[in-house]
Amino acid sequence: MSANMVDIKEKKILKSMFLRSHLTFLAFNMVKMEANGFTATMAPAIEEIYKDDPEGKKEAYLRHQNFFNTHAVPFAFIAGLAYALEKQNKENPGFDSEIINSLKVSLMGPTAGMFDSLFFNGLRIIAAGIGIGFASQGSILGALLFILLYGIPQSIAKYYFLNWGFTYGTSFIDQIFSSGLMKALTKATAILGLTMTGALTATMVNVPLNWTVDINGAQLVVQDVLNSIFPGLLGIVLVFVLVRLIKKGVRPTALIVGILALGLLGALIGIF
Amino acid sequence: MASEALRICIAYLIVVILDTFVLSWQCISRPIVVGPIAGLILGDFKTGIILGASLESIFMGISAIGGSIPSDWTSATFITVAFTILSGQNTEAGLALAIPIGTVMQSISGLMMTFWSSLAPYWEKLAVSGKMKQFIGQSFFVSFLMQSVSAVVMFFAVAYGTGGLDALLGALPAWVMTGLGAASGMMIGIGVAILTSMIWSGSVGVFFFLGYVMVKFLNLSTLPIAIIGIVIAVTIFLQDKDVIEVKNSIQEKLGAGSKSSDEKGFFA
Repeated sequence: MSANMVDIKEKKILKSMFLRSHLTFLAFNMVKMEANGFTATMAPAIEEIYKDDPEGKKEAYLRHQNFFNTHAVPFAFIAGLAYALEKQNKENPGFDSEIINSLKVSLMGPTAGMFDSLFFNGLRIIAAGIGIGFASQGSILGALLFILLYGIPQSIAKYYFLNWGFTYGTSFIDQIFSSGLMKALTKATAILGLTMTGALTATMVNVPLNWTVDINGAQLVVQDVLNSIFPGLLGIVLVFVLVRLIKKGVRPTALIVGILALGLLGALIGIF
Repeated sequence: MASEALRICIAYLIVVILDTFVLSWQCISRPIVVGPIAGLILGDFKTGIILGASLESIFMGISAIGGSIPSDWTSATFITVAFTILSGQNTEAGLALAIPIGTVMQSISGLMMTFWSSLAPYWEKLAVSGKMKQFIGQSFFVSFLMQSVSAVVMFFAVAYGTGGLDALLGALPAWVMTGLGAASGMMIGIGVAILTSMIWSGSVGVFFFLGYVMVKFLNLSTLPIAIIGIVIAVTIFLQDKDVIEVKNSIQEKLGAGSKSSDEKGFFA
């Protein structure tokens, strides 16, 4: 838990990860959101951990190409934690790599909410309030103070969060390992991960059906009918159809083209 | 106006690209920082600072949470400051110009997002191949292209008005816009589905529905859901821990030779 647990090589990797953690929004897109930023941040750790294990490296990169989305500061914490977990994954054969995915998805939702409010609705308003006072009198101090109070603390916070994620993650997993509870932990994180994935599906996946059926002059809004059966029914159906297709081995490219075609076709016949 | 528009758009491009990579996010793209930059470019630093302050107060309550990265306040500040300095009019006139331009920019970047999202499988392949230099280089290039589209739109809107762009968007059949918008919303489903398929396991899969129901029926936000999830996970973890300890002590009493095939029964 203290600094002496981190050797020089790890310190170097953490430093490189800190610099890269500023790439949070690298090539941001709607399918994977911050996945590219996360992959780029994890790269120094993955390259070192799996330097003589090409299969493990592939799997690790694939893992961190997963959908990811949170605020930029906890992003660094989760990356530090993921580094500790990847290290365990390589060193201990009893480690189940699913823990990494489960923990990432468990942490991203709540941290996003907390840090969005803390930084966007808290610190930014304070920093802007102080800055505006100077700027409205024509002083450049306003802009500089804003950056100093709002931008710099985020970078500093990222540095500490990344290191905390790594050291706490390492000591926590070590403890679990020494007490032989890995299997119980895998199950517990899977429970939390799946609960948060369900919440994620409910908040983010949306099928914008806009279809009204005219039955003898009575207007039937299909989306309302479906939602009265089960709120957001179409979103959950969409995700499960996609999961089924993925498990059958359908390539993501085909899925994206399919969704695109579905969107355009649906709009053409007027159901979206 | 074209040369000023060009300068403004280049500055806009630099600010929005750097903003995502320097000092986290939504820091140097805020009106209070952009105002002075725009003022400096157009030769009236002080006006830029003061306008930046008043625009910051206007946009203070607005921030992007979640998905998209709107550059509304950034383009609005550039346009308003430019318009005010160049034409000598008041802030309101500049803002009145900035809002329709922002709307056009948003529709076009929404259109483009569908395209950028379709690159996701390509990124995955590139990452798995382990060519990190290429992966990061190309990701940077795409990030640059993504913002360039908005900058080009902004240039035409500032230099020649939004009429032409509106006509261009109007020429697209309405269903194309709607369809792409719908597709872009559903694409998140792919990322979520890949994630779900990776962490899904039969014995605990039902917990997916717990999270879903807590959002859709109980309208909880992610923090309380996470806490409830943690409570459940910790309870089950501790129970499993007891089971493991009991099992270990039984095995110790029976001697090391006992079989371990009963493990499945305990954890099913």
